[in-house]
Amino acid sequence: MAQSQAAKLPRDFDSGPIATGREQHPTDWGVGWTSLFWGSALVMAANLFLWFWDYEFAFTKGLNSASPEFTMYYRTLFWGELIVLGAFTGIWYGWLIRTGREIANQPFSRAEEVRRIAVLWSIIGVTSLSIYIEASFWPNWDGSWHQTLVRDTALTPTHIPMFYFFFPLSVVLALGAYIYGNSRIPALYSRDKGFPWSFFLLISAAVLECMEVAFNEWGHSLWISEEFFAVPFHWPFVAYGWLASGMFAVWGETILRLFEIEKAEEVANGVTPAESQAVAD
Amino acid sequence: MAAAPQTVAERQKRLELRALLNKRYKWIDRKWDLVFWITAIFVVAGAADITKQLFAGDWDFWTDWKDPQWWPVITAFATIIIPSALQYIQWAAWRFPTGATYTAVCFFMAAWVGRYFQWHVAESYPMNFVWPISTVCAAIILDWLLMKTKSFILTSLIGGPIWALLVWAFNYIPLAPFLQPAYFMNHVLTVADIQGIVYIRSQTPEYLRLIERGALRSFLGETQYVSLVFGGTMAVLGYWIGQFIGRYLAVWPIRRYLKTV
Repeated sequence: MAQSQAAKLPRDFDSGPIATGREQHPTDWGVGWTSLFWGSALVMAANLFLWFWDYEFAFTKGLNSASPEFTMYYRTLFWGELIVLGAFTGIWYGWLIRTGREIANQPFSRAEEVRRIAVLWSIIGVTSLSIYIEASFWPNWDGSWHQTLVRDTALTPTHIPMFYFFFPLSVVLALGAYIYGNSRIPALYSRDKGFPWSFFLLISAAVLECMEVAFNEWGHSLWISEEFFAVPFHWPFVAYGWLASGMFAVWGETILRLFEIEKAEEVANGVTPAESQAVAD
Repeated sequence: MAAAPQTVAERQKRLELRALLNKRYKWIDRKWDLVFWITAIFVVAGAADITKQLFAGDWDFWTDWKDPQWWPVITAFATIIIPSALQYIQWAAWRFPTGATYTAVCFFMAAWVGRYFQWHVAESYPMNFVWPISTVCAAIILDWLLMKTKSFILTSLIGGPIWALLVWAFNYIPLAPFLQPAYFMNHVLTVADIQGIVYIRSQTPEYLRLIERGALRSFLGETQYVSLVFGGTMAVLGYWIGQFIGRYLAVWPIRRYLKTV
């Protein structure tokens, strides 16, 4: 019954192995971890595009925010980022919620739950990459840019990729990871358990970071237009790196769940082999 | 003879642990380890670098800023926070005394990627002006201390001051050539000072004047050692901020939920 219901669902391990000549496991690189590779590739591609864009145009088009060139190359980039990110979020969240509703309350095998945890780890892994890009990679250019050149706008060439693409991207990824877990890993993240502290910290870290952007720009326009990285109104940015520790709690609680699944499998196999395909507890 | 049963029990325990270590699971394989250790690099590097950059970044960006009194103090404080958090996480999870070293290596790689691509390639600052510090050597000692003492309190009290000393000492080696005196525009300056004048940072406060305030060479250089002692104190404080992060933001939330009323 579980097999037949699950077979209708997209990307479900319960839908059975593909004819590859060998049995597929949920932890095969090409099964549970594909989201990690594709997600990382997409984030890196976006990062490379934005880096080369700045490398090519920051000094030639990005110095005067009142110029037509700035509007052409940077305000367009800013709106383009928001549109792409908004479209991606709408499509991804829409898919997660729609398919999540379809599979809600449907039984699934232990192998399928393992695959789902691998997918969750993949999304978390991509979030980790996004956090590095926004918390280390771009702040370095932001520091060198603003300690060198006069700022006349909040939408500077280094702010546009960092503040208005990778900052919101981390919110989208962290919240998306929770939406995924909420519908697909009910043993840990079902609504009746309450909101997990792990995701609360991780998501609030990303949201606070976006709010700190407003404080940062307000502070730079009021107190100091120059750059001084250790200035106190930059300090709330650090909270992001600290609160992102919630990611370790996600890893911790899912590892514990994996051990529970293994134990259930052992018990099932010990009693009768037929029960190894039983619905996960 | 009385110790024999204990030895048997110990041996039994060791065999049980070894059996657990070598246990074959159906789905838990080395891929999980690989994915965890690799993907965690990024969040750890990001957290360590943003903490250092926004608390002590200016004193690490430039060779001439590595001279003032703030450098040994605020750098030691800022760089020990995330290593301490990871020390707790890795010790709590696996009894691995490797958290500080893991963090320091992640931070080292992130800092060099940032400095090379964003300061050198993008902004044309020479690497010998903007090279980042390394905390790897200090982190190895901090992890060794935890392994030997098995105590976070002792590691903080002994390791904090040692951290401040070693971060300064190991990075003084590459810094020393830039602190040599040079004659420039009728003044005796350091090589680092000349770099700061030649490579213009037009949006950094006090970029036009050379202000001899809070230099490590004040009071015939004794300020340097006073700063290191104070830096050690600050590192102890930073260590416990890191412990808070590890204990209450990373480990405590595991399987805890916010309940609605």
